[in-house]
Amino acid sequence: MSILSTSHLSLSIGEHRILSDISFSVESGEIIGLIGPNGSGKTTLFNVLSGFLKPSTGTIHLRGEDITHLSPAKRAGQGIGRVFQNFGIFREMTLIENVLVALEALPKEERKNRGDLKKLAMETLEMVGLEGNAHTKAGSLSGGQMRLLEIARTLMSGKELFLLDEPTAGVSPKLTQQVADLILQLKKQGKTVLVVEHDLPFIGSICDRVIVMDVGKVVLTGKPNEVKQSKELRELYFGADPTT
Amino acid sequence: MRRAAQPSEYMQLLANALIAGSLAALIAGGLALVYGVLGVFNMALGQLVLFGGYSTWWLHQVVHLPLIPSVLGGLASGALMTWFTFEIFVNPFYKHHRFLPLVTTIAWSMILDGMMLLLFEERPRSILPGLKKTFEIQGARISVEQCILILLTLVALLAFAYVFHRTSFGRKLRAVVQHDSAALSLGINSAVLHRVIFIVSGVFAGAGGIFIGIDQNLSPTFAFPLTIKAYAAIIAGGKGNIWGAIFCAYLIAGLEQVLVGVHWFGAFYVPAGYQQTVALLFIIFFLLLKPSGLFSSQSRTA
Repeated sequence: MSILSTSHLSLSIGEHRILSDISFSVESGEIIGLIGPNGSGKTTLFNVLSGFLKPSTGTIHLRGEDITHLSPAKRAGQGIGRVFQNFGIFREMTLIENVLVALEALPKEERKNRGDLKKLAMETLEMVGLEGNAHTKAGSLSGGQMRLLEIARTLMSGKELFLLDEPTAGVSPKLTQQVADLILQLKKQGKTVLVVEHDLPFIGSICDRVIVMDVGKVVLTGKPNEVKQSKELRELYFGADPTT
Repeated sequence: MRRAAQPSEYMQLLANALIAGSLAALIAGGLALVYGVLGVFNMALGQLVLFGGYSTWWLHQVVHLPLIPSVLGGLASGALMTWFTFEIFVNPFYKHHRFLPLVTTIAWSMILDGMMLLLFEERPRSILPGLKKTFEIQGARISVEQCILILLTLVALLAFAYVFHRTSFGRKLRAVVQHDSAALSLGINSAVLHRVIFIVSGVFAGAGGIFIGIDQNLSPTFAFPLTIKAYAAIIAGGKGNIWGAIFCAYLIAGLEQVLVGVHWFGAFYVPAGYQQTVALLFIIFFLLLKPSGLFSSQSRTA
């Protein structure tokens, strides 16, 4: 069943066309990689999907319901979670407060079902091995730890669809593996993930499908292996082969 | 002949600094919260302070309501006028560019100046006119009202600290201050919180106006220096750092009292009109030499 679908999404700012006629759908439980050169519109697409930018034309449906005009907070309430490229953590709050505030933002009914929120917040930190730093400020963490905290926090806040923007940027190789494991764990729990990444081996190791973007358009979709071997991708990253 | 300063003079300076600091901290604290969250300048702040004070004066001295209901009315009118300011002069503009309210609130401050002159006239207005009962602590003379105002400011700041650091609502506020987009993507309705924060700053501003009206006299000319002092405290405290701003508000007010209260070199006093230079020097010094302020915050750096 399709959890997310976009139909003819376009975004223009002034005379500049940032996104152009983007249509795709994502099945529930899939991990989709979104790749493309810098400036191809990947983060802008995430901003449109999470409600920070309004598309000029086109629609976005979540579980069949039109969410094109909902605010970011309402979309979060519908189950879209976002992990930001520049670390969406609250640096001057402690780690446990970072998780707690996400749990406290849940609708009242869901909050009641979760029981003791402080205990749950601590369990979230244990899940990513950060329980020892529970009462230190999040700003003192390394890039990789911040990323783990952000993903774990989004996971525990009950989101269904995850938009991860460059989750391995500024992360050490050891923690990159931990981030990959965490994303695969999301899949096991039936969650859906869209991940923007420049690290192609990382994308190849975790994704079911890859969408390639260039100058605001979707230029290619397919399984990681097919996309990796495609001539279009090579041309996009290395330019056209002059011998052919 | 040179005259050595008496210990009682220092105690008096300290008492005056505490009174002036409490007032400045009330106003700067509310404004720092607004700046931390929205990053906008509200140049009509001083006028909103006076509006709260004048409303209390009007309720108490003209309508003859008892003091407590008049004070509550003053706080409510400060909050309402600040809400109005947000909806008309800030909200429609700051999404386009966060510096636009700088211009719109300057225009609004001029309108408010004119309105207050028209409604309350230029002569000084006191919420509690007449001689105040004073007593002496270690040689410093201080009135009962001033003691109450200092204590109430402390209670208000402590209550605010508790809400800000210990409650779920406070955590949401801090989340919005530190990363607005991340807070939104967690489902925190920051548009509502923006309003709440602006209105809270209005309650603090109204409290500042009532403070002035009880301790001294209200005059429409006070508005702009109050705004400047609050911004000096925010810049020096580290933009977006609420407790830094409150500390610097006490510091600036204290230095103002020292500047005009000390018999410099046993030779002269600095005229009272030069008090405002302290806030202006703070702005120049910090913007030029330490733009991050004394307690730099990672939440807002510009």
